[in-house]
Amino acid sequence: MRKSSINKSQFGFYFVVPYFITFLIFGLTPIIYSLYLSFMKWDGFSDPVFVGLANYTRLLQDTFFLKSIGNTLIIWVLSIVPQLILALILAMILNEKFIRGKHFFRAVFYFPNIVTPVTLGVLFSLMFDWQTGSVNKLLMGIGLIDDPVNWFNSPWLARLIVAGVIMWQYFGFNMLVFIAGLQSIPHELYEAAEVDGASRWDIAIKITLPLLKPVLLFTFITSIIGGLQLFDAPLMLGNGPDNSTLTMVMYLYQTAFKNFDYSYGAAIAYAIFVIILIFSLISIKFSKMNKVEQ
Amino acid sequence: MKKWLSILFAAVLILSLFAGCSNSEKSTSSKDKKSDNKTAQKVEGKLTIWTFFGQVKDMAAEFEKKYPDAKVEVKIFPGDQYQTKLLNVLQSGKGVPDIFDLERGYIDKFINSKYVVNLSDMGAEDLVKDYVPYVQALGRDAKGDVRAISDHSSPGGFWYIKENAKKYLGTDNPDEISAMVDSYDKIIELGKKVNKESNGKVHLISHFGDIYNIEAYNTKPWVKDGKLTIDPAWKENYKVQQEIFNNDVDAKLEFFSAGWGNAINDGSVVLTAMPAWASFMVDNKDDKAKDKFGVAATPKGFYMGGTYRSIYEKSENKDLAYKFIEFIAGKEWQQHNLEATGNMPGLLTVYKDNLETFKSPMFGDQNILKPYYETVKDIPGLKPDKYGEEVLSKWRKVAGQGIKDKDDINNVIEKFKKEVKNTFPELNVD
Repeated sequence: MRKSSINKSQFGFYFVVPYFITFLIFGLTPIIYSLYLSFMKWDGFSDPVFVGLANYTRLLQDTFFLKSIGNTLIIWVLSIVPQLILALILAMILNEKFIRGKHFFRAVFYFPNIVTPVTLGVLFSLMFDWQTGSVNKLLMGIGLIDDPVNWFNSPWLARLIVAGVIMWQYFGFNMLVFIAGLQSIPHELYEAAEVDGASRWDIAIKITLPLLKPVLLFTFITSIIGGLQLFDAPLMLGNGPDNSTLTMVMYLYQTAFKNFDYSYGAAIAYAIFVIILIFSLISIKFSKMNKVEQ
Repeated sequence: MKKWLSILFAAVLILSLFAGCSNSEKSTSSKDKKSDNKTAQKVEGKLTIWTFFGQVKDMAAEFEKKYPDAKVEVKIFPGDQYQTKLLNVLQSGKGVPDIFDLERGYIDKFINSKYVVNLSDMGAEDLVKDYVPYVQALGRDAKGDVRAISDHSSPGGFWYIKENAKKYLGTDNPDEISAMVDSYDKIIELGKKVNKESNGKVHLISHFGDIYNIEAYNTKPWVKDGKLTIDPAWKENYKVQQEIFNNDVDAKLEFFSAGWGNAINDGSVVLTAMPAWASFMVDNKDDKAKDKFGVAATPKGFYMGGTYRSIYEKSENKDLAYKFIEFIAGKEWQQHNLEATGNMPGLLTVYKDNLETFKSPMFGDQNILKPYYETVKDIPGLKPDKYGEEVLSKWRKVAGQGIKDKDDINNVIEKFKKEVKNTFPELNVD
């Protein structure tokens, strides 16, 4: 009996081997190669030269990189707060029994998530073009403004538009997660509350929200990593005035693949890795604290 | 799949038909040019070309027509990932094409690398001796050797709708218009007038950024001996651009933006500064742009872009590849290209041959080569360097923002230096 189980485990090993080989070639090798590159000076045309920590010391004094971290965090906050609020409100509404066409609305709200961020970026940049864009034409048409607003000439408006793109793309996804969370809350609790004469508002604040907290935390944490890697949509919208919409990954892309400074680009990549690691550790700590509370 | 096969089959048939034609042509002329024929017979083999530019297919077809024993495979990679793809194969040394196209914007990095053949050693100095000075200079490496050759020049001019010009400028004669806008002061004054007369609906030029395009290669190189040098002309230009912006001489439509393209066709901008190759921006459905446009000279000659061709250092087909370069640098192809696409030649001799005769339907009776020739021959020939394009784009960005924000030039220069220092820490920017 014992003998046969040992033999069987060999097959399990064979099953996982393809994954590890693929990961080794396409995952681990580039990761290690980037680390090697970050200690070099290399433009892709000449041979790499070892420069030690020079790229990292340059990075610490790089005000543009620091600014890009700030931009990324600002855009992330601007997009995540309204995104979660909107998703939660819609989820609670669409979870009500009396709403008709729930499935239709769920699908419609999820649609933006299927569109690629590049397409959304192009779409928004055309919509917000200050001379030919539909947004200005609409606002002028209904008489809200007299002259067209040059959206991308103001750092904060530009950031708001980028945040808007992200929000629009992900609120549907978060809404679905919230709906799943809502459906897992036992009906008995609601029924008991109703019997006790609680109002809809009381139920929402005192039952739904507290029980939804783990789901809320989950979406918040998963959005951190995605938010810090913000790239394609803002790339389509440009750097913004005074580099106000230049995100960390955009800066990495421009350094490595526009200026062909591969080695410095690799150092930036590792810096981004460390930043995301720190934020992830903080969020893990948070979720552990949450479990202890529970 | 079947459809593709049938298209391929048809293409092979057509090509073999052409091949047949040129074979017989050659055999009739073989008596006159015996030695030529001897070299022509040697032209055989298969070439691979990588490009981002669709018209290279026609180039290959014409080459195959001339040398029926040669086959050219063209692989087109549209979009801005082309150079990354190219660099990847060059680094790995596998699957590298014999010839690859390089765009003006990044040519310097490639021609100063170990990956390209020194064309001067193969006799290319002869090919470019009658070239437009700036075109041949852009294909030279830091030492001055030819490493890449283009088959065209990309001069720009002020395009205008004739009817529109008559209405706002009082004439549609290209020479008269060229004289009306031969200095920035004149442009500003004329622009104010157009703006006033049209009640702000029509503007003389598209964008103050046109000045960057015109001045880009008429100023001193940005970097000399590892030091950033800001040509004093840029300070002057900044003032000019401020005047243009503040007085609504421009329509504030950035180059190649959505509104910019519309303005060429609807006439809300009188003079659009754009390169000769950009005729695809004109709405010419059902020939509606026929005899509609004119082109005048800008205050200084300018060019925009350019596609160059290099041979891979380790290519096994260097001789055939060189034959191809020789072909595209020759009169025959450049004349054909001018007639077929309207792309301006790289050879001054082709310019001169067509100066009085070349007409384009869109421009009616105008000899459009004239304004281009007058300005293109005087554009300074400068070798490309690692910094030029990148630093220029930073200046465009920072100065452009400064003009919109009505910022002081000294602040703009400080911000600009900071950006340059950040991207190129090795440069001395003080």
